[in-house]
Amino acid sequence: MWILSILPEAAIHIIFGLGILGTIAGFVLGFIPFVKTYKLAIQVISLLVLVLGVYLEGGLADYKEWELRVKEMEAKVAKAEAESTNKNVEIQEKIVEKTKVVREKGRDIIKYVDKWNTKEIIKEVEGPERIRREEVIKYIENCPVPKEFIDLHNQAAELNKAAEAKK
Amino acid sequence: MKYLLISLLFIAGCSTTVPVIQKFPNATPELMKKCESLKKIEGDKVAITDMLKVVVHNYSLYYECSTKVDGWQDWYNAQKKIYDGIAK
Repeated sequence: MWILSILPEAAIHIIFGLGILGTIAGFVLGFIPFVKTYKLAIQVISLLVLVLGVYLEGGLADYKEWELRVKEMEAKVAKAEAESTNKNVEIQEKIVEKTKVVREKGRDIIKYVDKWNTKEIIKEVEGPERIRREEVIKYIENCPVPKEFIDLHNQAAELNKAAEAKK
Repeated sequence: MKYLLISLLFIAGCSTTVPVIQKFPNATPELMKKCESLKKIEGDKVAITDMLKVVVHNYSLYYECSTKVDGWQDWYNAQKKIYDGIAK
């Protein structure tokens, strides 16, 4: 009820009170000379004011109930927003940590592969294992990957582009 | 004036909306980053170790991206739980 937002609460109680007083005056205090003179007018006006007062009082009660619910909802929303922010921080930390581990492990493996390129890998062992590793290094140096396989790898690495082109 | 008062009385019961605005939750900044494109092997005479390095790099990119997808799923489930909590 928009009228409740412009009408002060006290005014509603006053309207209701006037309605009650007027009704009592019009129907019970008929013996008073002034009331007796305007009895009908007082009765009609008082009843109208009373009806309006009851209506506005009902509206006010309903308005207050809704206001309470709105406050409850606002509190819930504020709590949810805080929870959401906390959860975001938690998720952010989890992703950053996981990504860091993946990158570090990937770098470690690449470093290990580089040891084959720099022949550092053969210094780590002795005996037959060293001979085996030397053979592997010879293979690495003398047998490049066929260009066809490289092209196939590169095509596979760009599969997403094919899917985007089809859009 | 008389008509104005009467019409005001008639619309006295009209409701007013009380907005409770819930903002759409922001996504975690890390989730908003796009997944990197996979690396290609450059050159004609490529040693198997160099090819292997590219493959390992690409595996890392896959797992980085899969971490983001897992993150989105976590984010969605968490936000849904929070939203359902309000709706109750």
